[in-house]
Amino acid sequence: MKRNNLLLIIVFFLVASCAPPATLYTWGSKKYNYHKASYNYLKVSDEESTNALKASYEDIIEKQKGIRKTVPPGIYADYGFLLVSINEPEKGIEMLKMEVILYPESKVFITRILNMLNK
Amino acid sequence: MRSYLLIITISTLIFTSCSTSKLSKSSAYKGMYSEQPLSVLIMPPINRSTNVEAKELFHATLNVPVANGGYYVIPPFLSMEILKRESAYDSELFLNQSLEKFNEVFDADIVLFTIIHKWDKSTIGAKVKVEIEYVLKSTTSNEILYTRHGNIIYNASVSTNAGGLAGLIADIALSAVNTAATKYVDLAKTCNNYTFSDLPKGKYSPQYNLDGKEIAGPKKFTKRLSAQ
Repeated sequence: MKRNNLLLIIVFFLVASCAPPATLYTWGSKKYNYHKASYNYLKVSDEESTNALKASYEDIIEKQKGIRKTVPPGIYADYGFLLVSINEPEKGIEMLKMEVILYPESKVFITRILNMLNK
Repeated sequence: MRSYLLIITISTLIFTSCSTSKLSKSSAYKGMYSEQPLSVLIMPPINRSTNVEAKELFHATLNVPVANGGYYVIPPFLSMEILKRESAYDSELFLNQSLEKFNEVFDADIVLFTIIHKWDKSTIGAKVKVEIEYVLKSTTSNEILYTRHGNIIYNASVSTNAGGLAGLIADIALSAVNTAATKYVDLAKTCNNYTFSDLPKGKYSPQYNLDGKEIAGPKKFTKRLSAQ
C-alpha cells in the first residue's frame, strides 16, 4: 500500500513538472503557429499567408486554455480587420465589436476604425 | 602583512564586481506602479542591424509576452495599418518626441519601442548574437517607465542526443534546418520572453500590484539562450 502511494506521488510530480507554466492566454496549437503565421503575413501578405493567419486566429478564439479563459487582447480586432480585408465585412465588423465588449479600453481606437469602414 | 592586505584588497574587488545591484521592481520601474498603464501600443521595431528580416521577426512576436504580462495590447496588425496610413510607421521619428498623439488616436497609455542594434550570425554552428533594447514610454508623462538592453547569444541548434558519427551528422543537419528563416521567429520569441520576465504585471494578471517587492532584472544584461 505504502509503495503504491509513493508511486502515485512520484507520478504526480513527474506529470506536474512536465506541464508548461500557466499563462494568462494560450496562443493556439503548434499546427497553426500564430507567431510564424504573423511573421509570414508581415513578410508577404499573399493568399496563403492570409489564410494561415486567419486559421491561427480561429484556433486561438476556439481553443482558449489560459488562466483567464478568454480571448487575448487584440485577437478579435485583428481577426475582424483581416475578414474585412478579404471581403467578409459583416463578420469582420462583428468581430471588431467583440473586441470592445471584451476589452472596453479599446473603444476609442475601434470606434475610429468602425467609422473609417463605414465611410 | 603586505601580502595579506593585497589578498584582502583583491578579494574585495572580486566580490564587489560579482555583486549586481538588486533593485525591487517597484524601485526600478517606479513609473509602472505610479502611472498604472493598461493599454500598450507596439511600434514597429527600429532595425539598426544588418539583418533586414529582424524587424518583422520581432514585430510578429512582441504582443504575446506583453499580453501575457496582463496588459491590453492594442491590436498589432490593425494599429500597424493605421500607423502606415498616418505616415507614422518610422518609429525612429517618435522615439524622442512627445507621444501625446498616440494617446489621442489609440488611447494608448504606454508605447513600446524596440531597437535592434545588432544581429550577427555565425557561419559555423547555429549561434546568433543579438543586441536589443526595449523601451516603454508613457504617453502622458513622456517618461521612460521600463527599459532593458540585452546582449543575447542565441544557440539555435537542437541536439538529437544520438551518439557516434551518425548522431553528429544528424545534429549538423538538424541545426542547418533550424537556422532557416522561420526558426528565427523562435529566437525573437525567446529574447522577448527572457527580457519581459521582470515586467511588472498588468491589470489582467492576478499578480497585479502584488509583485513590487520582486527583484528586477539588470538594466543591461548579457545572456546565453537556447532554442526552447
